[in-house]
Amino acid sequence: MFLFQETVGKLLSSFFKEDKTKLGGDAVLLMAEMLKVFVQEAAMRTLKQAESEDCDQVDIEHFEKILPQLYDFGLGDFA
Amino acid sequence: DKRLSSCLSFVHCFKKVEWGKKMTSRGQLKAALHYTVSCMCQRVAEQHQREFNRQLVAAITETAYRQCDIFAKDLEAFARHGKRSTVSTEDVKLLARRSTALVSFVHIQNKLEVLTQEQKDKKKSAGKKKSKDTEDSTQ
Repeated sequence: MFLFQETVGKLLSSFFKEDKTKLGGDAVLLMAEMLKVFVQEAAMRTLKQAESEDCDQVDIEHFEKILPQLYDFGLGDFA
Repeated sequence: DKRLSSCLSFVHCFKKVEWGKKMTSRGQLKAALHYTVSCMCQRVAEQHQREFNRQLVAAITETAYRQCDIFAKDLEAFARHGKRSTVSTEDVKLLARRSTALVSFVHIQNKLEVLTQEQKDKKKSAGKKKSKDTEDSTQ
């Protein structure tokens, strides 16, 4: 998971508008954790949706159905 | 899925080789993110004896990637509001405040804070103030 933290750090820095904005070491740790929770939450919700429809294959249409629920994460206007 | 596993092993090799160099391209970062996301999805799927579609994993990666964009912009704004140029853990806390679905995150955050404070305490033996802070965060 060390590599993942590095990825998150670089990913976030690449999205900053100003070049002089930097990320603290502990902040990267927490953000990596936050993204992990986000992905796991998305995966679990999709799985539950597939289970409720008695599907063995978890498909993208299940994800489409639970996508609005991810608004709880402060998802922006793209979804 | 043979194609998925071969794709994953490729990404894995690619990561090991390329990591020494600076990864600046967003495509490369996205590939690295996709690798981690697919690992997490596989773990969840195995626990529940289901299979995750490749398309689905790609969609979750894309969502996480765009979520990163939103997170980064928010963090930057928070730091600037605090008249800082470095994003601190306080900014992350402020970001997490909005996520009601992240109840489990609160626990993780507290745990992590205790961990990081412990690390700091070890480094600085004279850290009476910090042990007080960890007590506050666990309450």
